[in-house]
Amino acid sequence: MEWSKRLKQLISVLLPPAIWLGAWQLGAYLVELHVEGRGNELLLPYPATVLAALLTLAGEPAFWGTIFATLGRILAGMAVGTLLGSLLAPLTCRWSWADRLLSPAIRVIRATPVASFILLLLLWTHRGTVPAIIAGLMVLPVVWENLCRGLGETDGQLLELARAYRFSRGKTLRLIYLPSLRPYFLSAITTSMGLAWKSGVAAEVLCLPRPGMGTEIYNSKLYLEIPDLFAWTAVVVALSLMLERLLRWALHRAKGGVDRG
Amino acid sequence: MVELQEICVGFGDKQVLDHFSLSLPLEGITALQGPSGCGKTTLLRVLSGLERPRSGRVLGLSPQETAVLFQENRLLPWRTVRQQITDVLPRSRHEEAQRWLEVVELTGEEDAHPSTLSGGMARRLALGRCLALGGRLYLLDEPFAGVDPERAARIMGRLKELALPILLVSHEPAILALADRVLLLNGPPLTLI
Repeated sequence: MEWSKRLKQLISVLLPPAIWLGAWQLGAYLVELHVEGRGNELLLPYPATVLAALLTLAGEPAFWGTIFATLGRILAGMAVGTLLGSLLAPLTCRWSWADRLLSPAIRVIRATPVASFILLLLLWTHRGTVPAIIAGLMVLPVVWENLCRGLGETDGQLLELARAYRFSRGKTLRLIYLPSLRPYFLSAITTSMGLAWKSGVAAEVLCLPRPGMGTEIYNSKLYLEIPDLFAWTAVVVALSLMLERLLRWALHRAKGGVDRG
Repeated sequence: MVELQEICVGFGDKQVLDHFSLSLPLEGITALQGPSGCGKTTLLRVLSGLERPRSGRVLGLSPQETAVLFQENRLLPWRTVRQQITDVLPRSRHEEAQRWLEVVELTGEEDAHPSTLSGGMARRLALGRCLALGGRLYLLDEPFAGVDPERAARIMGRLKELALPILLVSHEPAILALADRVLLLNGPPLTLI
């Protein structure tokens, strides 16, 4: 009984990726069948070829340096974007003049195509800092908007209680605002992180900082090393998923800190 | 004594307190009895400073000297029973918190969160928190709503023993019977019968 349950669980976990890998394998086989010459090398390599390329890349010392450089840039940008969004939200919610001044600017940031920002920033600043700024610009409006909504929806009765019970500003922040805003913050970060990560790598593809995963993706395409392009893309996807899990774990742990006060 | 002089409070066209005056002693338990919506809660809100009157004044008591128990429990969902009490104490004094939990008969529930409490327990916790806050006058709006009558009478007896200055709103005869004085009210606008 226990074994059949575990087997079912294992199948439910492994079956979806196996189906997608099978579809990929089939696609590569069809390319090999119908495209003459280097079809697999140039259009769609086999999964095993990509895995081999990934293992070769992972064996090079520069591989990890490249990953950490990209991670560092994008995480730094996200951190600054999160901080700015968290500071601007109470400012624009508290003072109407700040809202009138800053809200349109933040909305323009959100509506502007990311490619326009990348190219403009490339003109204005160093190529290495563009991905960080882009990641920050992706995070800032989402954090700002979510926190503004959270602040607006903070229970008015609890805020009145804080007033009647003579809570200091710090105590009101710690006991009422922070726990109330936590789900809004969590939602903002998890929503914007994938966006920031993808946009940051896209910025690297256009700006070519060294070292950088986006630069490697661009070079793979330039030199028609398609298995390497797939391998780098797989690393980007894996890191995105890992970061999301890590973030959820960290925020879950932080919840304890807030609750303990 | 606390003196309410010519207090006027209105919401839109509705005048809830219209030149209302009253003298209240800052000792013993005073109960307010009257029909729903007559203005009892508004009176407590004026005394606690949460409602600013259009005109009139309160003498002999500042809002900072009151401890108010709202009609709703207003417990912080993310804080435990003990934390709800220690949060209103100047420092996290566990012994004092424990004392108030004993008064409202919540010992053994210290680590529970509000979502796991029954309606009556949550009400007693809100009452315990108000008592822990302290003040020259406790303003209790329906303090025993949802609390079983026997327990309510026991807790009321303890409040009398502690000689806390209380102004409470209640409809329950058993509670009113334990008060030192009962003011019968009608309205709106609020009038003393």
